[in-house]
Amino acid sequence: MVVADDSVLLREGVKRILEEGGFEVVGQSGTAGDLMLKVRSYEPDLAIVDIRMPPTHSDEGLRAAQEIRERHPGTAVLVLSQYVESGYALELLADSAEGVGYLLKDRVSDVKDFTAAARRVASGGTALDPEVVSRLVGRRKGTGPLDELSPREREVLELMAEGRSNQGIAERLVITDRAVEKHITSIFGKLNLPAAPADHRRVLAVLAYLQS
Amino acid sequence: MSFALAPVATPQRARAFTAAVSLAAAAAAAGGVVAIAAGVVRNDTRTLAAVTLVAALSFVGSGLVAWRRRPEVWTGALMVAAGFALFAGSLANSNSALPFTIGLVLAPLPSAIIGHLILSFPEGRLHSTLERLVVAGAYFVVFVVQIVMLMFMGFEHVTGCPCPTNLLFVHDDMALHSAIMSTQRFLGIVLATVAAWIVVRRWQNASGPLRRALAPILLTGSVTIVLLLAELIAANASTRAWAAVSSAERVAIALVPIAYLVGLFRARLGRVAVSDLVIELGRMPAEPGHLRDALARALRDPSLELAYWVPESGTYVGIDGRTVELAAAAGHTVTVLERHGQRIAALVHDPALAEDPALLNAVSTAAGLALENERLLAELRAQLEQLRESRARIVEAGDTERRRLERNLHDGAQQRLVSLALALGLAESKVEQDPATAVTLLQAAREELTQALSELRELARGIHPAVLTERGLTYALTTLAERAPVEVVLDVQLDRRPPPAIEAAAYYVVAEALANVAKYAQASTATVTVRTDGERLRIEVADDGVGGADASAGSGLRGLDDRVQAFGGSLRVISRPGQGTRIFAELPSRS
Repeated sequence: MVVADDSVLLREGVKRILEEGGFEVVGQSGTAGDLMLKVRSYEPDLAIVDIRMPPTHSDEGLRAAQEIRERHPGTAVLVLSQYVESGYALELLADSAEGVGYLLKDRVSDVKDFTAAARRVASGGTALDPEVVSRLVGRRKGTGPLDELSPREREVLELMAEGRSNQGIAERLVITDRAVEKHITSIFGKLNLPAAPADHRRVLAVLAYLQS
Repeated sequence: MSFALAPVATPQRARAFTAAVSLAAAAAAAGGVVAIAAGVVRNDTRTLAAVTLVAALSFVGSGLVAWRRRPEVWTGALMVAAGFALFAGSLANSNSALPFTIGLVLAPLPSAIIGHLILSFPEGRLHSTLERLVVAGAYFVVFVVQIVMLMFMGFEHVTGCPCPTNLLFVHDDMALHSAIMSTQRFLGIVLATVAAWIVVRRWQNASGPLRRALAPILLTGSVTIVLLLAELIAANASTRAWAAVSSAERVAIALVPIAYLVGLFRARLGRVAVSDLVIELGRMPAEPGHLRDALARALRDPSLELAYWVPESGTYVGIDGRTVELAAAAGHTVTVLERHGQRIAALVHDPALAEDPALLNAVSTAAGLALENERLLAELRAQLEQLRESRARIVEAGDTERRRLERNLHDGAQQRLVSLALALGLAESKVEQDPATAVTLLQAAREELTQALSELRELARGIHPAVLTERGLTYALTTLAERAPVEVVLDVQLDRRPPPAIEAAAYYVVAEALANVAKYAQASTATVTVRTDGERLRIEVADDGVGGADASAGSGLRGLDDRVQAFGGSLRVISRPGQGTRIFAELPSRS
């Protein structure tokens, strides 16, 4: 995998966390251009990209991420940022939720959860920051089918949107896989969505619902 | 009522009439002079007769002048009538029966007419019911009572006779005659006293320009009234004394119409002042405040104030550009000045000037161009003043914002980082002997750190949302809408991306408006509409809340107004109680 961030300290930190988690870090980049070069040369399984990088310090990381997804479908992308914009998340996930992640940089501090997310993305899954999800849920204020969900079902919905697997949700909420499945069926029923598909596809289904 | 000071165009008929009256007066005067010279007049009243002739001529002449100046007012006619009544009165000195009788009937009439004239100065109408009663009473006493008295007057008993036959004589009843005469005199004294009291009161209440116009007529008028009183009282004294007082009274009477003309002339001086004003304005240096002084001189009102109309804000401002409250100027009258149908200024002046609208009109017309120029100057200054205030507010708002940031950093992130350092230090010391506690401490440290990061993130977003620069207004507003605690219906349609500063201004308008909705409106839904309309960017934020927001009260909306105006935009707030609040902002869509 490749880590791109203009802060050496952060790059090194992420590298160490990931290496301890069993990843092999093949390259580090300080700029978007260098990142593209390294992705082309190493064709890594995962590129971890900071949104703000030189030269303009605006959203070149995001553009690079989109380019990687277009040109190197074999490389999954995990975008890190100091702040999250639900709009950016929707851009990243516009076509597919496969092998893409978008997390706040803060999440790095929860080493276990972070490496799990990185692994999920690297293996074609999704990792969406809880804050993005709650903003998207927040878009549907007022009355609607969302209000018919029980608090637990809401939690499950949000974790689902984050890209977690049934097992991941079960661990998080300390309930059985069976219970998670029951909640998911109930949620899709209440939201009037067709039967729940597998992990990354259902992220899109939930996001599409939240956006509609 | 209005009265024109300008001479009215004199048609042929009016000129012929004037000529006829003048001729009649001249003939009467000539007849009188001949009569006096021929010794037809009884000796002891010769001086009185002569003075009376002069007074009569004075009245007729002045009356004709006044009549020509103000044909719509009765004053001129009254004065001419008083003149002829004085001529007629002097016929009482005649030796033949008919003129003698006419003279007897008409002799007291001028006193009533003069009273009428004085009380109706300067407008030519009586001002109150009391004045109308006094004048009607006077005419009754000098005319009706006089005739009745003459019917019972046998002249055989009168001193200073032999006299010609009294043609009205019916029955000689000395007692009745004396009673009527006493009543007449008593009523005359009462009426003259009341009239004098009214005149004194008018003088006391008049101020400034009106006093100047009133002075001559009131002076001569009151002297006349006093002498009339003296004459009535002296009627019991010797004939000589009575004749002397009467002569003095006639002299005073002769001065009344001249005084009237002086009053008229003083009013006309206003017109001279207008021409002076025109000349002065022509060579006036463009010095602010000069125009006010020139107008104050022309209108003879040192207390005169000039306020200029600023249509944009709908207020009056002084020459220094500061807002002026016209209602505050108590005891003054406000006259709005227009030029080409457009309101340009207001004069705050002595109420007496309102009695001469023609003069006000002439002065404001003469000063029209200068007024318009000064108005533009005042408007410019008002804008500068506004700009200065707004600039001060912007600087102040910047300082306040910095203080707020400092406090937030100090109380928030900084504080958390300190406790983080503390937790880390503790963990470090525990890590060998008590690893379990160390782990707990480290977990707490991480919590603290996450909080600090989150607070810093919010702070950074508050300073400037990165997404606004990166993706533009539509994007940033979407984020703003989803973060708002109320449901926001967003409708943004932009032809192109406005310049960054405009985008930021538009963003903060919506952000502040939505923050207000959340804080005060108790609304359930807010609608944000943003459109490019040619060269303008139009923003509307409407909510379905309680309304009643005051744009001038909160510093938030004030700050928005400043921000919007800094780009040449405008902000409007419509917020009626119970009908929600709508904020409209307009900004240029290009820089």
